[in-house]
Amino acid sequence: MAKVTLENVVKTYGPVTAVGDVSFTVQDGEFVALVGPSGCGKTTTLNLIAGLIPISGGNIRIGDKLVNDLDPKDRDIAMVFQNYALYPNKTVAKNLAFPLQMRRLPKDEIARKVAEAARVLDITHLLERKPRELSGGQQQRVALGRALVRDPRAFLMDEPLSNLDAKLRVQMRTELKRFHQDLKATIIYVTHDQLEAVTMADKMAVMNGGTLQQYDSPKNVFDHPVNTFVASFVGSPAMSLVPLRRVVEGDAVALAGDGWQMPLSPANARKALSAKSDTVILGARHSTIALHDGPREGAVPGRVYTVEPTGDVTFVQVHVDGAIVIASLAPDVAVRSDTNVWLGFDQSRMHLFDCETQMALT
Amino acid sequence: MSGRVDGWRWAGRVFLVLILLFTAVPMVWMLLTSIKSQFAAMQYPPQWWPKEPTLENYTKLLDPTNPVGNDFLRYMWNSFYVSLATTVLGVAVAVPAAYAFSRFRFPGRTFLFFAVLLRNMFPAVVFLMPLFILMRWLGLVGTHGSLILTYLTFGLPLSIWLLKGFYDNIPIQLEQAARIDGATRFQAFLLIVMPLSVPGILATSIFSFIGAWNEYVYAATFLNRQDQLTLPVGIQRFFAEFATDWPGLMAATFLMSVPVVVLFLILQRYFVRALTEGAVKS
Repeated sequence: MAKVTLENVVKTYGPVTAVGDVSFTVQDGEFVALVGPSGCGKTTTLNLIAGLIPISGGNIRIGDKLVNDLDPKDRDIAMVFQNYALYPNKTVAKNLAFPLQMRRLPKDEIARKVAEAARVLDITHLLERKPRELSGGQQQRVALGRALVRDPRAFLMDEPLSNLDAKLRVQMRTELKRFHQDLKATIIYVTHDQLEAVTMADKMAVMNGGTLQQYDSPKNVFDHPVNTFVASFVGSPAMSLVPLRRVVEGDAVALAGDGWQMPLSPANARKALSAKSDTVILGARHSTIALHDGPREGAVPGRVYTVEPTGDVTFVQVHVDGAIVIASLAPDVAVRSDTNVWLGFDQSRMHLFDCETQMALT
Repeated sequence: MSGRVDGWRWAGRVFLVLILLFTAVPMVWMLLTSIKSQFAAMQYPPQWWPKEPTLENYTKLLDPTNPVGNDFLRYMWNSFYVSLATTVLGVAVAVPAAYAFSRFRFPGRTFLFFAVLLRNMFPAVVFLMPLFILMRWLGLVGTHGSLILTYLTFGLPLSIWLLKGFYDNIPIQLEQAARIDGATRFQAFLLIVMPLSVPGILATSIFSFIGAWNEYVYAATFLNRQDQLTLPVGIQRFFAEFATDWPGLMAATFLMSVPVVVLFLILQRYFVRALTEGAVKS
């Protein structure tokens, strides 16, 4: 296994920039998830690392080797595709053997490695079948087997779980995580599902519009999003964002809405003062918002829009100053739509963003 | 309500039966005539079923020691040679062309792709004189080469279109996977894509083979030496000399249609697949 380094990587198609100036380092044995909405450049970035499309600028290193101009076959990486890309006319055994045959390994060694990979993935009984005779989950395992059969320097995975049904996806997620731990493999994993990234990855690279927004551990991305995009993309339900007016009276700083004010703690006041304009975006996750049925000191008035019970927690969507704020409640607390509520924000866990730059205020 | 539906259904069946008769009866009559004697074939009222069926017409045509058979077999060989050369050369050009149109983005791609079809927008006869002049200039008049070249220009556009549809339906990830697994771009094409496109190649081969096998106008114009003629021209000239030996003519036309029918029967499932490929998402 090896580390993978991207330095100012750029990919343009004529006037269109698909990937703009992306830099990050995946350490040896690290599991990194590339996440972002459709069209954010994450798959393009993965294809650039694989060498399937030529790079327009910057450098890509695998280990210490500069691979910018190397063919995919010379980069010594393995890839798992969203549609698995199993060779339909070859049996499972031949699918697994193909990468080894291409590297001209002796026949007995190929047989040994194929048997070993099949044993690890529990697909020995499927070896003589054709891909179309397998279920989605089995195809997925074969695709994984074809990747791990030849000890590559890094694994690239392009939404490998997105074609599975929900239950199987959760199961394969666990197995993939275990697979990473056992093999100490370097994995770069593309997904649009932030939950997959948060649950499996050591680090996540959040991309949007072809640029890297934040590269950090899932916990840090979750707790300290650098901008409103990351804040709203990571976490489910999304972080609530409410644009509010900044009011300064002497030393006291408050956020004001329609007919109410929320005084800020000294730390938050300092952040709010660093904003470029008088509009500040308040960000809060549902678990940091308390819901009251009467006015409280510092609580913000709102009106319940919908109530969504999920079983172990009930999400309450509340209209606050034209924006929607999502709070959560224990399932045994009854709330009805179209009633007035007061929201208490936890000042130590709230986020403030600059309305002009959309960046987090620190 | 159901009565009306039944009415339409029966009308449809009657229509289909009429169409079937329209196409099948001439062929059956051809076959019946080919096993009659010369005398029986000319009788009026006709013998609906040959009273004394004979294979004499066939043995005559297939006997190389007989002058008639000798000529017939030569024509057949010429047709086979020209059609096979057209097919092999056509596939050799169409496969890489279709693959390039399907996979690569290059300047002028769209223009070229439609330019390929331009020839098919005109009746073939329109090109008879220009091509004849061109062939004379190339010194190819009176050679099989002139026919092979001409048939290629007719068959290639369709072959390229059909094959491109086939390649479009092979996920590009298969090649990408192969390249990551250690194959060069060409190996990925040869080892992964080619085996998957065999049905498409077979279907397009039938198309160009049948097109070349049946072609008459160009063969009649470009060739003049008796020993070079292809079957469609050969049969027509040959039997005109002997007044009208109807049973012999029918036997010859039947033998001529055998390869086409056999090809169709063997490969029809690939054929249907090629034509409907991509019509429905799998």
